[in-house]
Amino acid sequence: MVPRRLGRARTALVAGLAGTSAMAMLTACGGGGGSAAVPSSGPTTGVTISVALAAEPPPKAALDAFTKSTGITVKWTNIDWDSLQTKITAAAVAKTYFADATDVDWSRVGQLSRLKAFYPMEKLMDTRSLAADMPQLTSFTSAGHVVGVPYDASFDVVTINKTLFDKAGVKQPTTMAEYTDALKTIKSKGVVKYPLSIPFAAAEGLSTYWYQATAAFGGTVLDSKYKPQFTDPASPGYKAAQWMVDAFTSGLVPPGNINVSDTQGQQTLMAKGSVASIFGDYSGTIGSLYDVPASSTVVHQVGYLATPGVSGPAPNNSNPDGIGVPVTAKYPQAAARFIAWFTSAQEQADFAGLNGADKAMPGYALPSHVSAVQRLATKGQLIGGQQLSDMLQKSSRPIFPGGAPSWYPEFSRDVYTNLHAAAAGSESVDKAVKAIASSANRLSAQGS
Amino acid sequence: MTEDGAAGSTGAGGALAGGAVAGGAEPERAAGPGPAPARRRRPDPLPYLLVSPLALFIIVLAIVPAIYTLAQSFYRVQSLDPPVRFNGLDNFRALLTDPTVQASALNTVAYVVIGVALSTVLGLAMALTLHRGFWGRSVLIAAMILPWALPGVVEGIVWTGIWDANTGLLNSLLTSAHLITHYQVFLGHNRLLTILLIEIVQVWQMTPLSTLLVLAALQNIPGDLYEAAQLDGCTAWSTFSRITLPLVRPGVAIAMVQALIATLNVFDQPYVLNGAADTGASLTMQTYFISFQNLDFGKGYALSLMITVATLLGSYALIKIVYRPVEF
Repeated sequence: MVPRRLGRARTALVAGLAGTSAMAMLTACGGGGGSAAVPSSGPTTGVTISVALAAEPPPKAALDAFTKSTGITVKWTNIDWDSLQTKITAAAVAKTYFADATDVDWSRVGQLSRLKAFYPMEKLMDTRSLAADMPQLTSFTSAGHVVGVPYDASFDVVTINKTLFDKAGVKQPTTMAEYTDALKTIKSKGVVKYPLSIPFAAAEGLSTYWYQATAAFGGTVLDSKYKPQFTDPASPGYKAAQWMVDAFTSGLVPPGNINVSDTQGQQTLMAKGSVASIFGDYSGTIGSLYDVPASSTVVHQVGYLATPGVSGPAPNNSNPDGIGVPVTAKYPQAAARFIAWFTSAQEQADFAGLNGADKAMPGYALPSHVSAVQRLATKGQLIGGQQLSDMLQKSSRPIFPGGAPSWYPEFSRDVYTNLHAAAAGSESVDKAVKAIASSANRLSAQGS
Repeated sequence: MTEDGAAGSTGAGGALAGGAVAGGAEPERAAGPGPAPARRRRPDPLPYLLVSPLALFIIVLAIVPAIYTLAQSFYRVQSLDPPVRFNGLDNFRALLTDPTVQASALNTVAYVVIGVALSTVLGLAMALTLHRGFWGRSVLIAAMILPWALPGVVEGIVWTGIWDANTGLLNSLLTSAHLITHYQVFLGHNRLLTILLIEIVQVWQMTPLSTLLVLAALQNIPGDLYEAAQLDGCTAWSTFSRITLPLVRPGVAIAMVQALIATLNVFDQPYVLNGAADTGASLTMQTYFISFQNLDFGKGYALSLMITVATLLGSYALIKIVYRPVEF
């Protein structure tokens, strides 16, 4: 305690402490906010930008080269996807700074667009010239604006263990009926006990699996006005849901898959030869997982299959990851320069390993530029490259014709919780489908 | 009795005799020169200013958000449907009639009942064991603390490897011991079993703290009470039920309250072990989904408020029923 005898000095100390406390409180209360309009100018060099993605960073040499050529230093943060989406949403709602460049998932495009949380990328860089070589750019366009630029070309594919199929003596199927029969034959011949993996855990992977199965049965889940297309038992979506649950209850899918997610199914089942196929797998997993000796016991056994449809090949739903500039970014122009570099065809080809392992980005499976995919395929450095390139150009399409709606996260949760419940036997497929349709109708009435 | 007629203990009466005045009159002054009458001291602001940064920190980070949550729970706060507008009790009505929220509420009640009961019983048993000195006691205490120190997410991931129906340790052990012929699905099918297994993971995390709280209460009990009981010929059960249990009630009450708070707010373990499935989703998970997936913050605030009120009421009930002040 300050002795009383200090007199005026004591009073000054007390006043000083009071002032300091007040200033600390004001400082704590201040901050935040951001501009919705694209700033006309801003620093594009000599700054440090923060990039937050659910991915490992590019090689240090590549980032150093970028810094040397632009004067922009990149501070990279790798956050798991679920946590990242929560952080992006929280920052968008609170209008606080989070990062200069961050993830724009295809499923969040509608929501982020409606929140006006990201700058329109066409105002920050030349996105028009990307369109021809980047077919999935349309998935990131909402209300006429490009919310993010895809940096990979993830889409749903069917993977099969060719060795197991050959052991069972089944030829590669081209229709859903042939595919289902092939799985039953593999099981009846005892090649594997459970030939198919479906991730029935109540998580996003179950929803995308259903969308892909619906595409295989010849339809989409929602129309361009977001009306449900799956309530009729004869509709593709209903048939897809029934097919998935029947596969589970009839023993084609391991019982434990009731709580297995998509990545768990890839890593613990397909990569270990426990199942013969994943219907809704992701492009590039052969090169990044199944053919990697450290993580797989089925090296060189797995191949891509053209998606079996009703009477021939079906579309492949695209679910790419993108990167955009939040409106709260400190250096939006510098971030845009980084994005233009990060998503360029040459850099993507390097990240995928075209010019050696030292330039490869860990876990980067498939460039979003068709030309880069083609170069990799030509040089034989992309397993299934030509097949993937063909799918990317010809058969991959957005899941929702009108783009992902703003209420997609809520809709997706209703999808996966009801499909999970149907597989667990706590409700019928009919009840599950009706519940999902009710959700879609309620949400679409609020607008897109 | 003191001069002013007030009664009390010796100390209190002395104080009253020394300081009490009749009718508020000034105390009699001794005749002649003497010390000046005491002046009322102005409160010293310095201590308050020294603690003000911490107080401001607590107010800004805890009390202000709590008041904000309380206020906003009566508003429609949807980021996808601005502007914010008052809607009275609509948020609460919508939540109470939402089947998903109802299912989560039932799940949470089950978590609370199982978690509080199990952690209390196990905590008491472990405290009684640790109360006696034995070789390796301190090592055992240190090992016991470990689950408490681990984040809930890490524990969920660890126990996923035990409960997993395709590759789990439990299935492997049971199959090796020929107790089962094929792998079983423990999580996801049967709702009660799913909740029980998830809560076992949380009990594993909470029990160390319960143990320490009860152990602290046990160590406060004077040993001469047990000696007297032994001399009187009390059985072990009588000693436990008539001496130990009543005297550790304060510790048990605190342990139960902390278990209640933890189980009412459980998130990590059900989310990691069972995802968003209705079979195990808790109320806190629903708060997260409603706020950060649906972007309906009004309902999120309302549900948070309801959970807080339930926590307060439950804690009060436990203190009223279980807690007894103890003096030695």
